[in-house]
Amino acid sequence: MRRIGVYICHCGTNIAGKIDVEKLAEYARGLPYVAVARDYRFMCSEPGQEQIRKDIREHGLDRVVVAACSPRMHEQTFRKVCQESGINPYFLQIANIREQCSWVSEDPAGAMHKAMDLLRAAVERVVRHRPLPSQEVRVHPDVLVVGGGIAGIQAALDIAEGGHRVHLVERLQSIGGHMAQLDKTFPTLDCSACILTPKMVAAGTHPLITLHTYSEVADVSGFVGNFRVTIRHKATYVDHKRCTGCGICQQKCPKRVPSEYEEGLGLRKAIYTLFPQAVPNKPVIDRQNCIYFTKGRCRACEKFCEMKAIDFHQEDWEEVVDVGSIIVATGYDLMDPSVMELYGYGRYPNVITPLQFERMASAAGPTGGRILLKDGKEPKDVAILHCVGSRDKNYHEYCSRVCCMYALKFAHLIRERTSANVFHFYMDMRCFGKGYEEFYERVQSEGAILIRGKAARITDEGLASEEEGRLVVHAEDTLSGESLRVPVDLVILATAMEPRSDAEDVARAFRLGRSRDGFFLEQHPKLAPVSTASAGIFLAGTCQGPKDIPDTVAHASAAAAKSLSLASRGMVEVESMVSEIDPELCAGCRTCVALCPAEAIEYLPRLRVSRIQAALCQGCGACAAACPSGAAQLKHFTSDQILSEIDALMGA
Amino acid sequence: MDAQRNDPSPAVEMGEGRMMDEGELDFGFAQEVSAEPGGEGIVKCFACGSCSAGCPVRRFHPTFNPRRIIRMVLLGMRDAVLRDPFVWLCATCFTCQERCPQGVRIADLMRALKNLALRSGNMPEGIPMQVNLLREKGTLYPLDEFDNKKRTKAGLPPLPGAHEDVGVLLGDLADLGRPKEE
Repeated sequence: MRRIGVYICHCGTNIAGKIDVEKLAEYARGLPYVAVARDYRFMCSEPGQEQIRKDIREHGLDRVVVAACSPRMHEQTFRKVCQESGINPYFLQIANIREQCSWVSEDPAGAMHKAMDLLRAAVERVVRHRPLPSQEVRVHPDVLVVGGGIAGIQAALDIAEGGHRVHLVERLQSIGGHMAQLDKTFPTLDCSACILTPKMVAAGTHPLITLHTYSEVADVSGFVGNFRVTIRHKATYVDHKRCTGCGICQQKCPKRVPSEYEEGLGLRKAIYTLFPQAVPNKPVIDRQNCIYFTKGRCRACEKFCEMKAIDFHQEDWEEVVDVGSIIVATGYDLMDPSVMELYGYGRYPNVITPLQFERMASAAGPTGGRILLKDGKEPKDVAILHCVGSRDKNYHEYCSRVCCMYALKFAHLIRERTSANVFHFYMDMRCFGKGYEEFYERVQSEGAILIRGKAARITDEGLASEEEGRLVVHAEDTLSGESLRVPVDLVILATAMEPRSDAEDVARAFRLGRSRDGFFLEQHPKLAPVSTASAGIFLAGTCQGPKDIPDTVAHASAAAAKSLSLASRGMVEVESMVSEIDPELCAGCRTCVALCPAEAIEYLPRLRVSRIQAALCQGCGACAAACPSGAAQLKHFTSDQILSEIDALMGA
Repeated sequence: MDAQRNDPSPAVEMGEGRMMDEGELDFGFAQEVSAEPGGEGIVKCFACGSCSAGCPVRRFHPTFNPRRIIRMVLLGMRDAVLRDPFVWLCATCFTCQERCPQGVRIADLMRALKNLALRSGNMPEGIPMQVNLLREKGTLYPLDEFDNKKRTKAGLPPLPGAHEDVGVLLGDLADLGRPKEE
């Protein structure tokens, strides 16, 4: 005879505001096997938990049902309560009467009805729960960090400082990411390179950090504690063990192409490093543009290289590493504003993107830090358009968070280096960080002209001869109600950060979810901002959503702490809810073997049955759903448990 | 920088700077407008002004400012919005609707406001005239003898000068066209 305790949480007014919790407890008392039913303001609080422990002791309960919030919130809490009181932690069932009932129901009578259904189903299910053992596996001490921007660098350094080996994978030939392209950083106006390059060098020289540059993750298998990762190293055509980074090959290479690092404003060679402070500072050959690879002759780099490091026969190669956890720090793309035809990017040469401005403002950039128009003259008037592609239902609905501040920084740099007027076209000025509002005030006092209104369009139609060849911004200053046309020489579009164009592929490879805005989905927006639905895989930086540098660094250190806590404990509890195959029922058809995403099922030819290796099983249930004979069953989600739950839900 | 300002200023006409008495405001007005087909998006407006900045009517008419009309509705200035003739100035060119970053559908909103104005009996003189034509002739451009003569010459059968049955479809609206003293 089972003895069930039912506990109904008010959750303040979250549940009790819609559902009559006392009546629900009364209803629970009439259900089979229910020995005790109570309602309480906050079941998850210590007194709430203590009540359950007391009842288990005094009433000899052997099953517990908690009707409260989603099991994602407190299932672990109450499992622990069961365990502490001496019953198996899996003798618990949560009835979600908050997210799936009180929050989403408008009609209290309907909500009450549904809560009763959910509670009845939970009681029917819990009597069929069987004890499951908790199991732990060893955690591999190494960590993989994907992406070598400031987030990846910070995470890698934190982990290496904690004494664990890090594999840092970067797609380009140098770490540094977008931050390496920036001139100054708001609000302190630190030179970006000055604060970034020491970290790059530290990551490049740390004995516990292995840099895998010009590389990509080709495959990920395994599970928390034991991931197996295949890293594909792209052919660089330069033997980096021999190369000293002297740079003679770059001088002698005759082929010039627009530089991606300089955002198309400067040129690079076909054999090139990204920038002078690159880490590692070794060149790669761009096969698409190399004269030898395209036309079969030249080999100038090979002739001049004293170290004989050029190797035109190099091929891509793969390397397998084992790690205990993974940090995804793949960053963002800056939105291409050419789709917004009204702003003329791509049509008017003096309409530029923020990264183009950063390169222009950089002393190491193509103009040596001078703010210039395409014809080489200095601008007299500059417009900065805020919210380009962000806060716009036609493109991205979200606020990109960093644009207000970098736009203000641009105004400062322009006022510092030219005598130009700077016009901001903004909707709201969002200066929320430490020292940001003060920076806003400083830029205002430096003479920036603020126009509260979104620019409707940019034209090159001058009304007077002195406007010929200039750009005209059309907007309304909504605070005065005046419609304006503002002739300027240079327009900077403060474009939005958006998810990487290959985010879908990366999400699939690492089994990540994506939120509605396309960025990778964290496990909980407030309480688990770096964890993901995949245990042991963490997020760092702008791949999770738009962030400025301070927030990115904080987020990356948080992800590093998560990896470190896994690695330092050395063991991790894995799902007990794994599948098993009943050899008596198994026909050896091997349907499950092909389906298993974790490759956890092996076929035993001598016995002619398939068997699941519990340590590898992720508990996805694919085998149980597909098994034609019902031999494969997912523990805690067995057919009798699920069917009895459904029966109870349907039967009044 | 060059501001287009036609006088008399719209702000002056709408009484900017005057203290507004709470009793003059109808705080349910925004809800009423958003319940009207076409008006659903109004509460999403964050007043960026891209509608006004691109509005071709605003260039020529000082009192027409879509952003300001939306603000007046959201504030509950029911009488001012429905009484004054400016909602009828919208040319329905859809420029604002195309550019609005919040999906407010401003041209549709203007139509919704016209419908509300009409129901409260506020409309330009041309509207009753048009209704009258529809009621009597069933079309805004009725044919006359001259047109039928031309049709006969071209070998086409004559068309009726009026379609009285169309007037039935107007229902209660037909009363708008009748002279007041009836």
